[in-house]
Amino acid sequence: MTNLAKRIFYKELVSYRKRSSTYLSPIVFFLITIALYPLALSNDPADLSFLAPGITWICVLLSTLLSIQNIFNEDFEDGSLDIFFSLRVSTLSLVIVKILVNWIFSSLPIIILSSTVVFLLFLPSESLVILLTSLLIGTPVISLFGALAGALSLGKSSILGPAIVLPLSLPILILGTSAVSSFLNGENPSFYFLMMLAIFIFLLPLICYACIGALRLHYE
Amino acid sequence: MNKTFNNLKTFYHKLGSSPWFYKISGITIPYVALFSFLFLSIGIVWGVFFSPTDFKQGDVYRIIYMHVPAASVSQAIYYTMTVAAVVSMIWRMKMAGIFIKSMAPIGASFTFLALISGSIWGQPTWGTWWIWDARLTSTLVLFIFYIAIISLYSSFSEKKSADQAVSILTLVGAVNLPIIKKSVDWWNTLHQPASIKFTQSSSISPEMLYPLIISIFGFYLVVLLSGLMAMRAEIAKREINKEWFKNY
Repeated sequence: MTNLAKRIFYKELVSYRKRSSTYLSPIVFFLITIALYPLALSNDPADLSFLAPGITWICVLLSTLLSIQNIFNEDFEDGSLDIFFSLRVSTLSLVIVKILVNWIFSSLPIIILSSTVVFLLFLPSESLVILLTSLLIGTPVISLFGALAGALSLGKSSILGPAIVLPLSLPILILGTSAVSSFLNGENPSFYFLMMLAIFIFLLPLICYACIGALRLHYE
Repeated sequence: MNKTFNNLKTFYHKLGSSPWFYKISGITIPYVALFSFLFLSIGIVWGVFFSPTDFKQGDVYRIIYMHVPAASVSQAIYYTMTVAAVVSMIWRMKMAGIFIKSMAPIGASFTFLALISGSIWGQPTWGTWWIWDARLTSTLVLFIFYIAIISLYSSFSEKKSADQAVSILTLVGAVNLPIIKKSVDWWNTLHQPASIKFTQSSSISPEMLYPLIISIFGFYLVVLLSGLMAMRAEIAKREINKEWFKNY
């Protein structure tokens, strides 16, 4: 089981590295959307620093949407998913490893990049750690929802994925931005972190099995 | 005790058979239609013409006889769809899939009705069509869930996998809806304290309450009626080439 998971992990790493568009396009998208807000709203540092946590969270959420089609689609199209489901091996490890690698390639670069909002959107620098922590805890949940949406909408229109992910991710968006704004108001944000962590732990097995069920649908 | 259980079990098994359902629903639909018409007309007419005028809101409040039943029905439909999703996941009962498929558009319409009637009510009483209140936001999210379920269903060409996919999404949504509701509550208290109490005061006078209860009952009957008709139509659509349907 662990050996198999390790092999899938390396295989996924290689295939992601070869398709650089899958992790470069979310980064480009993130930077552009961040740049849109000052252009459209205002370039006043006071306004921007007030809006910065929310803008960052929305941009992260939207740019992770770009990659959810990639989680299962390529394996579905070249038939390796087909082989995997006909073998008597654990599909759970496949799903978990795929979600993990997708998170590493699509969310992690954006989280690192989002520390630039200190300069771009004048986020108060002392709250940067809080923002990054909230992103680190919150984005795995969004990846889970993304995997479910990707599994349900395999080979379907790509608008279906966002329509499923966005309403499901509302609690994470609310908790993530609340963590930063409560810190800026001088409160302790740990409540929001614990809440997001609880949601993640609660949803991890549930969504993984839902993903397996959704993938099975395409082979019935 | 054992006998009642057996009767229940046979009833449950019969419920899974589409010819039986088609026959029974054909018999019951006229009665349900009659009763829903009766209850709805009594509730609405009593509420709109004969109940006393509210001393604070005036006659505007009478939209309550439309708004509260629609809001209550819109949530109840999602709960029944969740039960059907569990049945469909565990026993692969095809009637459960037909139920979810037929109820989702009905639920979406009643949620839409609740949102629209609420905003028509809000304009004269609060002076605004929309407010980012916790309840309004979670109703909007419920509406989006219904739309997502409908669009996911329509994206599958194979009915069997469409049923399963929709069941998975309904279940995940049912697990998430309480989380969304709770987090919207927190968000609301953080950003803006609820300036307008949306909850009806429990001291509603009986002359207003009775027509409300009757019209809520009428709305549930309308949902039952439209659900039965939609399920019949769906059965006819799926089994048009089956032997029993040709001989019906």
